[in-house]
Amino acid sequence: MLCGVILFCGSQLFAGNNPIKVGFIGPFTGPTAFNGGEMKKGAILAVDEINSKGGVFGREIEVVWGDTESKPAEGVAVVKKLITRDKVLVVGGGYHSSVNIATSDACARERTPLVVAVAISPTITERGLDYVYRTSPNSPQFLNGACNWLENVRKPKTVAFLMENTDYGRDGERVYSALADKIGAKALAHLYFEIGDTDFTTQLSKLKNLQPEITFCIGSTTEQALIQKQSKELGYVSQWIGAGGHFTEAFFKMLGTTSAYCMGVSLEPTLAINDPVVADFVKKYEAAFDGARPGIFSGQAYDNMMVIIDAIKRAGEPTGKLKEDRARINKALKSTSIKLTQGPIKFDKTGQVVTVFPYVVQTQIADGKPQLVIVYPSEKAAGAYQKPMPWDQRKF
Amino acid sequence: MESLFLQQIANGLIIGSIYCLIAIGLTMIFGVMNLSNFAHGDFSMLGAYFAIYTTAYLSGWCGWIGSMVVAAIGVGIIGYFIERFMFRPLKDRPTDIDVIMLSIGLFIILENGAQLLFGATPQMVVDPFQSESVGLFFFRTSYIRVFSFILAILIIIALQIFLTKTKVGVGIRAAAQNVKASMLMGINVNYIYSLTFIIGSALAGLGGVLYGTIFAVFPTMGAMPTLKAFAITIMGGMGSIRGAIVGGFILGVAETLGGNYISMQYKNSIGFIILILVLMTIPNGLFGRGRNNE
Repeated sequence: MLCGVILFCGSQLFAGNNPIKVGFIGPFTGPTAFNGGEMKKGAILAVDEINSKGGVFGREIEVVWGDTESKPAEGVAVVKKLITRDKVLVVGGGYHSSVNIATSDACARERTPLVVAVAISPTITERGLDYVYRTSPNSPQFLNGACNWLENVRKPKTVAFLMENTDYGRDGERVYSALADKIGAKALAHLYFEIGDTDFTTQLSKLKNLQPEITFCIGSTTEQALIQKQSKELGYVSQWIGAGGHFTEAFFKMLGTTSAYCMGVSLEPTLAINDPVVADFVKKYEAAFDGARPGIFSGQAYDNMMVIIDAIKRAGEPTGKLKEDRARINKALKSTSIKLTQGPIKFDKTGQVVTVFPYVVQTQIADGKPQLVIVYPSEKAAGAYQKPMPWDQRKF
Repeated sequence: MESLFLQQIANGLIIGSIYCLIAIGLTMIFGVMNLSNFAHGDFSMLGAYFAIYTTAYLSGWCGWIGSMVVAAIGVGIIGYFIERFMFRPLKDRPTDIDVIMLSIGLFIILENGAQLLFGATPQMVVDPFQSESVGLFFFRTSYIRVFSFILAILIIIALQIFLTKTKVGVGIRAAAQNVKASMLMGINVNYIYSLTFIIGSALAGLGGVLYGTIFAVFPTMGAMPTLKAFAITIMGGMGSIRGAIVGGFILGVAETLGGNYISMQYKNSIGFIILILVLMTIPNGLFGRGRNNE
């Protein structure tokens, strides 16, 4: 087990006062270590910001990192260590849904607040466990970002589905299917593909014959890229709406301008968003980490740590009686209301944030290069929605 | 006028032509050497990576044609060494299991090695036609697919001429029919083995470049083509080139029509359902001749 304790800022600033300990878990080693590192940077930025202004109650915030190694069992072990040995007041961070379903049980049992930063399975908060919160949207909420746009702006009459034949694809299909029913759009086809498939001409030929206005497509990068490429080959035009795979670096690199008009939902903190809080965060982040661009997980972890510190502040100075301090912070968390990079943060009865709405993004071509432009909601939009043009009329 | 039915037939024939190219190499190696090479699709993967690096230095048509040449030669050379130093020492073992395990091991090593060397991020071989679309008679496809189809057919014809009209080609066919008799006729069987493995690997490499241009290049890209090539060769008759060609086209068309009219979810199973049906009715495959080597 890899656990590190990092002390922030000089100790002379907080001389004589005990630090306030906060646990932060994530996959800091293993296959998703890169994303874990992004989270860590976001959390460090938040803690540094508070400590450089004198900390909380004149005391330093000290983060104790816990490495989950992407494994549920390891996650539970590290959380128990943070609670009993390191005596942290709150545990933040997270990442994998499977890990967080396990750690949320452990924290609820130990009556220590767990504030999950990144992990999308509804199960984590759905069970209504006391002491469990999540500062980022769950999977239906994530997809709902696009639903609002479809319902209020685009209003399609026909839709079709081309989904990865896994829980990931099928869950998304359920959300979008319900929306289609709600807005009276006719679902023309429900098609699937397997992970590792390379030829989609069968599916695309069928779709082309049906001509749906919107094609929902959830899958990973390789499949998404091949689907777009083969749409061009077959001359199939539709408004594609996907998630994740549409917006990775590799996707844009493989496709170039062929990626135009694809849409999806995102919470990526970027300067292309019309929001001063996000712009401020991006600039601070770039200054702190040698110009590195913050990813979605950096923003979510920053928000997560800020929510935790805000609750500690409102709960009153910790007395050292762990049980009482944790209960007071738990109570304070319930009435959280703070505006951060993802938007306003407020929890419902189950501890799930209900005020964060992922924005709708579209790939648009500027100077021959694909760019992600936020097109909805209008108050955050940085550009107007572009309707997909027939392939032979695209001039880029 | 475009028709969905003809469109799906065309989609299937084009995919089928690439399946053929990969399956012919596999069936040749099996027919001559009695060797089931489960790493065959990974030779295609290597060919595709040769193309990625060639097109990085040479752009446009030059790069693409160049990458076909580099892939065929490069994978051919790798094939030579693998046959000479890995498969040949196992040739006289009493069972096939050693060879099969070796080829499965090779499949894992090549995939993991590629991941280590090239990374897991998918890439694409630059398409000289830039995925431009073209309408032909009753269907629509892309220039690169039409071009690949023609190229695959030309390669298959060239191979047929080589096998029937040249002395070496006749030697390969003789070895495929009966190893002992061809040795008695003065054919250098080890030389024939090397050559067959080189040709089979080079064809897989070429197939990989086409596959990587139409689709994408990633370390595990060889797994599915290997599986399909096996289905095709078993369906067509192990060792029969004609069987591989017919089998390749049947599989391609069956997948697209089955996907369109039966169920998209089971598109990949359709090939294997046909395979089982063929084996139940014609155990030696469509063009199989049974094992008369002994």
